[in-house]
Amino acid sequence: MNVLVFAEVVENEIQEITYELVGKAKQLGDVTTLVVGNADVSNINSDVIQVDAGEPLPWHYKIVEKVFEKLKPSAILFGNTLTSIDIAAQFAAQLDLPMATMVTDISAKDDGFVATSLVYGGKVLVDLALKSPAVFVVNRGSFPAEEGKGSVGNVEKLSLEELGVSDGIEFVGYIKPEVEDVDISKMDIVVSVGRGIGDEANIELAEELAEVLGGVVAGSRPVIDSGWLPKTRQVGRSGKTVTGKLYLALGISGATEHVEGVKAKNVIAINIDRNAPIFRISRCGVVADVLELVPVLIEKIREAKG
Amino acid sequence: MDVGEMLETYFERLSEVSESERYKQCLQCGTCGGSCPYGIASPFTPRRMILALRAKLIDEILESGAQWLCTACYTCSYRCPSQIPLTDAIIPALRELSLLEGNPPEELAAALMNTARYGNPFRESPRKRDSWTKEVEFEVPLMSKKKEADVLFIPECFGAYHRRCREITKAFAEVMYLLGVDFAILGNEERCIGDLTRLCGEFGLFEDLMEKNIKTFEKYSFNRIVTHDAHAFNALKREYPKMGFEKEVLHHTQFLFENLDKLKDMFNELDYTVTYHDSCYVGRRNGIFEEPREVIKAIPGLRFVEMKRIRENALCCGGGGGGVWLDSFIRNFLKERPAEDRVREAASVGADVLVTACILDVPMFEDALKVTGLEGQLVVKDISELVLEAIR
Amino acid sequence: MKICAVLRVVPDLVEEIEIEETEIVPFAYIANERDEHAVEEALILKEKAGGSVDVLGVVDEDTASDVDEPLAMAYAKGADNLIKAILSRKTFRRYEVAKGLAEFLKDKGYDVIFTGIQAIDAFAGTLGGMLARCMNLPYIGGVVEVDVQNGTLVVKKELGGGLLGEYRVSTPAILGVVSAERPLKFVPFAKLKKAMKEANIDEVDIEVPEIEGIDVLRYYEPPKPEITLLEGDPEELAEKLVEVLKEVSVL
Repeated sequence: MNVLVFAEVVENEIQEITYELVGKAKQLGDVTTLVVGNADVSNINSDVIQVDAGEPLPWHYKIVEKVFEKLKPSAILFGNTLTSIDIAAQFAAQLDLPMATMVTDISAKDDGFVATSLVYGGKVLVDLALKSPAVFVVNRGSFPAEEGKGSVGNVEKLSLEELGVSDGIEFVGYIKPEVEDVDISKMDIVVSVGRGIGDEANIELAEELAEVLGGVVAGSRPVIDSGWLPKTRQVGRSGKTVTGKLYLALGISGATEHVEGVKAKNVIAINIDRNAPIFRISRCGVVADVLELVPVLIEKIREAKG
Repeated sequence: MDVGEMLETYFERLSEVSESERYKQCLQCGTCGGSCPYGIASPFTPRRMILALRAKLIDEILESGAQWLCTACYTCSYRCPSQIPLTDAIIPALRELSLLEGNPPEELAAALMNTARYGNPFRESPRKRDSWTKEVEFEVPLMSKKKEADVLFIPECFGAYHRRCREITKAFAEVMYLLGVDFAILGNEERCIGDLTRLCGEFGLFEDLMEKNIKTFEKYSFNRIVTHDAHAFNALKREYPKMGFEKEVLHHTQFLFENLDKLKDMFNELDYTVTYHDSCYVGRRNGIFEEPREVIKAIPGLRFVEMKRIRENALCCGGGGGGVWLDSFIRNFLKERPAEDRVREAASVGADVLVTACILDVPMFEDALKVTGLEGQLVVKDISELVLEAIR
Repeated sequence: MKICAVLRVVPDLVEEIEIEETEIVPFAYIANERDEHAVEEALILKEKAGGSVDVLGVVDEDTASDVDEPLAMAYAKGADNLIKAILSRKTFRRYEVAKGLAEFLKDKGYDVIFTGIQAIDAFAGTLGGMLARCMNLPYIGGVVEVDVQNGTLVVKKELGGGLLGEYRVSTPAILGVVSAERPLKFVPFAKLKKAMKEANIDEVDIEVPEIEGIDVLRYYEPPKPEITLLEGDPEELAEKLVEVLKEVSVL
């Protein structure tokens, strides 16, 4: 079967999730990756259709539609990101295709597919049967990226004129976050705080822990929304993805949106709620009150460092 | 709301709180500001609030945020020569205007919304309110099963959900159990008693909570209510009677004192130095000074020392009047919390243990120990935890 | 400007939810948080550009879900008209809901329709984008700010990592809100109760079409984590954690 992957492109760069999708797609069939913009596609381990249309925009479902007509894929994979979900939902509705969102797994079954989605704040999994062709919006980190990386196959370049699409939404430009801050996505050790830390004053405690570990402090959305940490420190879907050696989650429950941004090699979570979803992605989970444990932990680390 | 509407709403609310017309007799003496734990940082001390109200500058008070710089410690009200109900009326009615404008400090807004929805400020399920009873080795009787008891025990929100405060609830329940008291709880039928909603100006919610709680009380037969939550005690004793609830209400310090003869026979020796913190709504507001001291002094081996600021002049822990949800907000005005000042004072008189009698005190002071580096040197215990330790 | 905001209810995760083979039985429902932000942003746009805000509450006939209180909350915050859309049947498919709502919305002349970008129970589509296609209108999701310049919407959209994109969209359009420009407005209890008494809620029945192609096989709890959770007193836990930190060569 043919499988189409919609590449996640931000600021003209192919994002990691694209490779995750390509890797999974290869298990399902012959893969073509659709890339909007002029990003370097050489590492994508599949054929590529590249459309010169600037940055991906919500109305680019029309591009996907044209490519769909051309390739007749059985499955169309998108990343569960703020850019791609706009396009995926419109594409599926436009073509009357069944669509699964928040997907963590896909397999072919009979003439169609079975998809698994993680819903209700990470408390429930649901298995869905979808008829082919079907649209999948896949959570970050559901599949390994390695399989999707390699050297690119055939690259076909198309223009919007050739596809014959246009729309009324105009892209004005990017608004970048203030840069006078560390880039948490590039830090090896990140100590991250959630609402479970209680109040703003306790951020100091996390900062002290980060300092003894040689890392930086980040936070989940509620903490950022409260203004306890700058926006540049947000981990999760609408924030950054951490990829370093250690992610130490303090009082973070682990909502799906947050967990998507956690790609560190080791996750250690401290939470008072033993059912907190964050434990599911943790190498080590500690059921404890952050405010009680962290001061002791700081002391022990200091001792260990001598 | 324009200033006219604000003033109208404000004075209408004021007229509903007894004695509030006394604000007209304000002498502008400044005793209140001098007594206030936040007086030094507040753009509008109670005196200046009344001055501004007289000048119809109510919007300026609200914009300054001064209405949130209050822990409802009652010192200003207690000392006011004109006996103006500053804590119960002047400030909550200002807070109500902030709530009506829709922009109270965020943590407090969340606590109030949670209380309205779940009956507790913590965003916890009302069906888990009795979960602490599963952590004790004796049975805690439920009113829904027992129907009648001598004592209705009210753990209240902090005592039911807050992890540290649950230890106090368990300790006091165990003391009652060991004393053979005929008591029961409402379990999941209980909801927030609401003193903090009142002091935060959420009068509508407070009234609703009172109505619902009284309805629940009326389902069962009991002689009196006992609670270790000083604010619940205050509201049940002073506010609930206005809605027709007339049962006797005891604070657990009073209850322990009442049972002191029996306790004395059970006490074992403890060997350390303690001091006692007069919690605002036990001491200053409700005049309970001797009972806790008598109980502590009756425990053999304990050395009792007094701090400098005691009884009516005791310093607030900073948690009352919504203070537990205003920390981030207040930190914009003041860097040292009153609790930090207070634990330093306790340590300075040589105490090993700081004994308290208000459920908010324990987490507030324990936090302060961490900040001041006194952790390990000073321990905070509720009086029921101390008593349990002595009789175990 | 004639503005509409869609307000859905979802299971309240503070309470237990019962997971049955092919059904989720929530103990209670609560307003979808992203939709509350959509309502807030709709009210902010009204402040900026004038006009009116209609709030379209969505419930289905088959469940105990109710949207009266969230609608009254919107009214207390300044919404002008409240509509309760009663879906003819319960469906997990957003596309079916979108088709049904589009039929109702198409001739109402709204300049902007706001929805929350997602809901915790959205595993088969997202409403905003699908509604846009059913109504043939432009759509942008991930919205965090909306302004009007010369009759055109100027929209800021989150792209992740703190990066925002700015877009111009002509009206009518559908916007999927991730978070409003300001914190949600607080509504005191008495004001909410008053709104519940005073607010007039128009009810409309929405026929939900049945579209083939996707079925729920089963709901189930995610497998328990394989890790052993550490518990004990802080001293012990801290020591164990230091060991783990050494294992992962952080120390």
